Formats: sequence, C-alpha cells, structure tokens
Amino acid sequence: MRNWKAFLASAGVAAALLGTPVLAQDEPAAPPLQDIPRDQTLILQNPEGTIRNPGWFNIWVPAGGGWTTGLHQLSMDTFWYIDPNEGIDGVTYNSLATGPAIYNDDYTEMTVELRPGVYWSDGVEFTAHDVVFTVEKQAETPGMNWSGVFSQQVESVEAVDDYTVHFTLKAPNSRFDSVFKVRWNAAWIMPKHIFEDVEDVLSFDNNPPVGLGPYTLHSYDPNGSWYIWEKREDWDRTAMAEYGEPAPQYVIYRDGGPTDRRLIEMRNGNLDMIHDLTPEGMFSIVQQDETARGWFDGFPYAHPDPTLPSVIFNHQNEKFQDRNVRWALALMLDGRAMSMASYRGAATMSAIAIPPTGTHPTDYHIPMNEWLTEFELDTGTSVIRPYDPDLTLGIADMVRPQYGDAVPSDPAEIRAAFGQGWWRQDIDAATELLTNAGFTRRGNNWIMPNGEPFAFSLMIPGDGVINRLGTMVAQNWTQAGVNVDVVVASDHADQRNAGNYDSYIWWSVETWGGHPDLSYFLDSWHSQYVADPGEIQPARNWQRWQHPELDRIIEEVRVTGFDDPRNLELGLDFVRLMVEEMPIIPVMSYNVFAVMSERYWTGYPSANNPYANPVNNWSNSRYILTQLERAGN
Amino acid sequence: MQNYLFFVAKRAVQLLAVIFFGVSAAFLITHLSPINPVEQAINRITGRSNFSPEAVADMRAALTALYGIEEPLWSKFINFWRRIVVLDLGPSLIAFPTPATTLVMRALPWTVGLLATAVVFTWLIGNILGGLAGYYQNNRVLKGVGIVAMGLQPIPYYIVAFILLIVFGFVWPVLPISGGFAMNVRPGWNWPFIGSVLSHAILPALSLVLVGLGTWFLGMRALVSNIISEDYVTYAELAGVNKRTIVASYVIRNAAVPQLTALAMTLGAIFSGTVITEEVFSYPGLGSLLIAAVNAGDYALVLAVATVAITAVAGAIFIVDLLHPILDPRITVE
Repeated sequence: MRNWKAFLASAGVAAALLGTPVLAQDEPAAPPLQDIPRDQTLILQNPEGTIRNPGWFNIWVPAGGGWTTGLHQLSMDTFWYIDPNEGIDGVTYNSLATGPAIYNDDYTEMTVELRPGVYWSDGVEFTAHDVVFTVEKQAETPGMNWSGVFSQQVESVEAVDDYTVHFTLKAPNSRFDSVFKVRWNAAWIMPKHIFEDVEDVLSFDNNPPVGLGPYTLHSYDPNGSWYIWEKREDWDRTAMAEYGEPAPQYVIYRDGGPTDRRLIEMRNGNLDMIHDLTPEGMFSIVQQDETARGWFDGFPYAHPDPTLPSVIFNHQNEKFQDRNVRWALALMLDGRAMSMASYRGAATMSAIAIPPTGTHPTDYHIPMNEWLTEFELDTGTSVIRPYDPDLTLGIADMVRPQYGDAVPSDPAEIRAAFGQGWWRQDIDAATELLTNAGFTRRGNNWIMPNGEPFAFSLMIPGDGVINRLGTMVAQNWTQAGVNVDVVVASDHADQRNAGNYDSYIWWSVETWGGHPDLSYFLDSWHSQYVADPGEIQPARNWQRWQHPELDRIIEEVRVTGFDDPRNLELGLDFVRLMVEEMPIIPVMSYNVFAVMSERYWTGYPSANNPYANPVNNWSNSRYILTQLERAGN
Repeated sequence: MQNYLFFVAKRAVQLLAVIFFGVSAAFLITHLSPINPVEQAINRITGRSNFSPEAVADMRAALTALYGIEEPLWSKFINFWRRIVVLDLGPSLIAFPTPATTLVMRALPWTVGLLATAVVFTWLIGNILGGLAGYYQNNRVLKGVGIVAMGLQPIPYYIVAFILLIVFGFVWPVLPISGGFAMNVRPGWNWPFIGSVLSHAILPALSLVLVGLGTWFLGMRALVSNIISEDYVTYAELAGVNKRTIVASYVIRNAAVPQLTALAMTLGAIFSGTVITEEVFSYPGLGSLLIAAVNAGDYALVLAVATVAITAVAGAIFIVDLLHPILDPRITVE
C-alpha cells in the first residue's frame, strides 16, 4: 500500500512538473505587470490568427511575422493611402507625401514632395534618404518583399533634398505611384538609420520595430496570439496627425479564434472590432449584444469588399471558347438562389465586372443600369434582354419575413445594400444559345459538337461563403443538364495559378474601391502576361482570357493619368466588353461581416458615414482611430 | 543482469532503426506534398497587394533560390540526416530563415504542459475509479460514475470543447476561453503568471479529461472484472486478507500493467499536439503549428514536428519495453 501512495504522490508531482516548462520560456517579449485601462483600449481581432514567428517585425522580409498585428496599420507609413470607401476628406490621403506624384510627360520619371516634420518613433527625422534607402536596399537584396518591384522598374532614385525624392524608371509607367499607395498595404518606408548597419537584412528581426506610425509596440505574446500598441507621446509628429489625434491610448490586436469565440469575446467586452464572421454569426451577435452593429444598420449588415467573387472559366480550355456557351452558363444561374445559399440573402449582387462597393455604384453600377436594361443578347433563335433590374428587390422580399424591419424597404436603400440587379435565370435562352453553339440534347444532358457530353469541373475552396456559392452554381448547372463535378480544393490557389481547373469560383477583379481607376487589377489582364498552358499565371488574370479590345483599353489606361476623366470612360468600355463577352460571370462583392461594438467606443464608419473601410486588417483602417470617441463605459 | 543488458542493447538498436525509418518515411511523404511553399509565400505577400507580374516572377526566382527547393531529393535527404545528427532541423520555410527547432521548442512546452498533465490526471482518475468500479460492482456511486463515463466517452471531442466554451465563457463567464495566459502578466516564476497559466489551462484540460476519462475507466473496469475471478484473488479473500490490500496490491496492480503500457504510448503520442484543443481555445502548441506548416507547404517544419513525435513515441515504447520485465514478474528476459 505504501508503494501505491508513493506512486500516486510521484505521479501527481510528475503531472505538476510536466506543466511547468512554460515557465521556463524566454522573457524578451514580456509585458510589464500593469493593467491596461479598458476604457482607453481598443481591442481588434487579427484575422491572421496565431503568428508563427511572433518576434519578427521586419515587414520587408517574408519570415512568418504578422502583418495585421497592428504592425502595418499602426507602425508603418508610406506616401499615400487610398480609401476603399469615401475617406475622411476625400479618398486619397497624402501621408508622407504632400501631394500627388509628379510625372514627366512620358511617365519615365516621378517626383514626390515629402512632408517635413515627421519623425520616426525613436526621434530621428524622416527624410528622402529613408526613401532612397528603402528602394535601393530592396532592389539589391533578392528575397525582400518589394525587391522585384524596385529592381524591375526603378533605374535610379535620388534625394533631391531632404524632402524631395526623384525616381527614374526603366520604362514608362503612369501607375508607378501605386507601389506607394496603400489599398490593403503598399511599399512601406524603411528606417535607414536602423537598417543601414544591419549586415544581413534577411535575418534581421527588427524587434522592437521603429516606425513612422502614431503607435509603438508595447508588448506581445511570445506565443503570437496578441500584440499591444501604445500611442506615441509625440503622435503629433507623425503624418497621421494631419487627420486628428488617434483616440485609444492602447490598441490590441488579438487572435479571435473560431466564430463562436469571437461572438463570446465581444459579448463579454473583450473585443471591440471583429474582422469577419459567418452570416449566421452576424445575425446572432446583433441579437445577443445590443452594442454590436455592422456596416449597415440593418440587414445585410456586411461591408462589401472591393473584390468580386465570380465564376471564372479557364479560357485555355476549349469548352469555354464560345461566347454562346459562356452566356448560356450565365443564364442557367439563379441569382436569388446564389444569394441565399452563400450569404443567406446578405449578398450584394453585381452583374458587371466591378465590385458594387465604395464609389463604384456611383461611377459604374447606377450609370450602367439603363445600358444593362436595354442590353440585347442574340441567342441565334431570338433576341432577349437578359438583365433583371429588380432581382435584388426580390431578394429583399425573400428575407423580410425572417428579419422584418431590419431589411430596408426603400428601393434605393435595397439596391445600395443588395446590389442593382442581376441576370434573369432563363433556361430557354440558355438552350437556344447552346443549340446555336452546335450543342445537342441527349435526355437531360447536353452534348458538345464533338459528340462528347458537356462535362467539366468546378473548383471551390474548402469552406466559407465561396464554397456555398459554388455548390449552388453547380446545382443550377446540373439541373440544366450540364454535368458538373465539384472539386473542393484546399490548395485551390496553387491549382488556379497553374491553370489546373476548368471553372472556378473566386475573384480576378479587385479594385481600389474608392476610385474609378481599374489599373489595380486590369494591367495584369493584358495579353502579354497570359501564360502558356502548364505555366504559372501571374496575378490576376486567372481566367487567362485575352481580347484585342481588352488590350486596347489597358494600353490606353497606361498612358492616361490616374485622375483623368478619360480613365472612367475606359472603365465603362471595359464593363461593356465584359458583358458582351462574358469571360467570367461576375456574381457579387465579397461581403465582410465586420462587427463593431459600441460598448467602449463610438464613431465607427458605417454605410451612413462611410469615411473608412471597417475591415480592420486593411492598413487604411488606421484612420478610424482618429474618429473614435470613448463611450463612457 | 547480463541477459537484461543484452535485451536493452537489442531494444536500443531497434529504437534507432524505428526512428530512422520513421523519420525517413516522414521525409519522403512531406516531399510528396503538392503544395509549393514558394507559391504559398508569394500568395501571402502579393495576394492583396499591387505587384506587377514581372515583380512576382522576380520574387519567385529569389524565394526558390533561398528555400533551396530545386535541390535533388536525394541531396536533400542526405543533408537532412547530416543536420539531424547535430540536432539541427533546418530553417522553417514559413518563418525563413528562423530554424524550425526554434518554432518547435516554443510550442513544445505548452503541448507537454497541457497534454501530459491532462493525460496523467485522466489516467490516474480513470484507472482508480475503473478499478474500484470493477471490484465493488454493486456500489451505487461507482455505478453512476460508470454511466457518466460511458455517456461521455462517445461524444466527439469538439462538441465537448464547444459546450465548455459556451457554458464557462458565455452562459456563466467565469473562466478565460483563449490563450495560454492573460495579456497583463509577466511570464516567469511569479504567482500572477502561474495563476494565469493555470486558469487558462482549466477549460482545455477539462475538455481533454472529460473525453479521455471514459476510455481509461471502462478499460480498467473490464480488466479488473476479469482479475477478480482469478484464483489468487479468491484465495486472498478466503485467507482473510484486508480488502483494501486485495484491491490495491492484488487487483489494480496487476490490471495496471497493460494500462501503463497504454499510458506510455499515449504520452509519446502527445508530441504531435491536439489540433482541435488548440484551435478552439487558441492554446499554443504543436498541433496548430503542424497544421499551419502543412497548409503552407513548409515541409521543414512538418518534418521537425514529425521527428519530435516519432522520437517521442519510439522512446516511450522503448522505455515501456525496458520496464516490462521489471514491473511484471511473469515476463522474463532470456
């Protein structure tokens, strides 16, 4: 018996000792033992989750450090920011630059005037020499994030004086400024005085980071689940001060975990901003927590991202060469069913190849409505008008019985939230189009002109709203007699890049959101970049589509200024071409269910006050901090 | 004694062979992965940024050279074993050039701390209660414990974890539901940190204990149910040996031998972590590190975790093999 007592005691001690190795961990990242006042702290979900190399703050080298831990939102800076919505004082923020880029006539030189009186967090003044160092260091060091950007495009860069930098480019490029223009991120400026003495920049962790943003690193979890940032005493010596003082003294970015835990943490007051939820999670949190709200006050709550989930055809597959076939597949789809399946009705539909978000509805969707309504499609048998301008009103009617007054009733509000309209499901017209393309019916199945069944695969990611959307697309096609094999691929991005798919649900259209210029994605759609079959396709022409008119538009955009009104006209040309040819089937914006709690802070952006994108992993979300006010709790 | 030493030497050779073949198999399997770490890195860097196609091509060439992924497989295999001999598992690709060992050693203490504690406690409680339930078969309390254990055992782990999360985080929010410790404490030998680590471990540990308890309980009860009908137990009872002595020394002790073997193997297996626990509770550990490595095509890190796990399991089996002749008098070494 004594043996057993000894065994039990030793087992207990062993169990306790086994739990102690965590105590022996390194302490370099240890936060001081002090309370962070909750009413002075903004807590945000970092969608990157747990950071695998948490002590790595060298954002110029891809070494597993986090980016959206607050590092690129609060500590970094560059010349300009462009807002995906409307901005505080216009969509373009002059941050380290005092005005727009100045190009020479043939776009081979760019000059930028810099803001004086901006200081790094360690007290050293920011100058043009930091910019020159940033460009030259990365151009000469392969393996850094913007190495290729600079080595491929910059012939030379010089500091004309402390506040003027001059770039000479290797080839004309009217959009070179976009390298330093933050959408989600951009090329961040490096602190020359820190990095110039570093022997191997690829293995330098830059911990703690010296930055140009209004916050400095206070502490972080050595396991990578949270980062605490504290407002600089000299925040007014940063470029962001131009737009006001950021309100929170502390900002915490933390791993939010699964949807359920994010809801619980917000309800318990441990999270002020959730990056994204499932549609069901969103509907639940607004019921459970009266301080929680989304972008829209009511249904559909979500913020439309300037990305456009679409059905993407692989144009190097002979099955999708015929425009009749692509249009037939589009008309087989039921817009209402896709909205309900993917977002439970909380989708913002778009019939055109522009995301329905930011200023795009004003620039593109509303002006195009009449053209779309009048648009005629010759099926070979008849001429139809496929556009249904009231389709989204029908979706609102479908969800109203469940969500009641949360669903808007004013048609203009409905169109703003649910989209302007979409293609009417028209199986008869699809039948005519396929017949016109030489297809025949055998039972319920379509047979291609070569006698083989019309069968192909549809690649979708493993989960999320895109997965749900893909399932409904496949169902619509199957019901219409197309033999579709759904391929759920965890490595869909690799397969997409390699062109190993027939059709695919994702997005190849991404825009600035707050500006009609389409160069952000469109330049890469030029036929010069279409890879041969089997080769890797560079972003973002995943459909590998090429068309002479498309090249004409892109080539003209390249020599048209960013803010030139001609740019919008070219954008409208692009939209019309995409409707005519239907190389991809645009479906909806990627709606992000960002949730903001007004328990501790008020003043968040919303559809009624769209001064910023509420999706907090975008680095331009930093301007939200200047508009927040303490709620008094 | 000489026989035993020969037995130990033989088992040690077997141990090295198992580790070599196991790790080599892991090497080959990880290198069959269709996920390209360079493309994964490019997707992470350029996915939401404005990079020209030429810049992306330049980045692809640079990262391919840095990661050394175009080296022939046989050459990688030889270099891998050269490094292993000096306990160097090479650089992680998702955290390049940070050594994979650094990432593993950062996560390992949490995995060992949580899982080993939970496994040992579960084993102790499950076996003691199971042993008593097997011997005192008419005891109402132990019958009740048996019903609860049988009820809990088939419930999927993630259901139990989420129930605990909702009950103690939402309905009655008294326990922390994420992370390894609170944000405002200093890691080290101080009570606030120790208290914080313990309080943060309660829910993940409880979820593991609740689900694991049934297996040990039911297994031990079944073993004891067989042993109590053995002749030597009957003779002991007839001889008037104290009941507690019979339970502890005659019954549970004999029944514990196979359970000890299972414990050793379970302890070895914890080195691959518990993915669901770590994901649900954002608890640091090897499981989520392994998943991140697999998704990113970081075969160096996958191999590092696999090597630790294979070595631990093989080591545990080795120790059990060595202990068996000592613990169980029925086993002799020739």
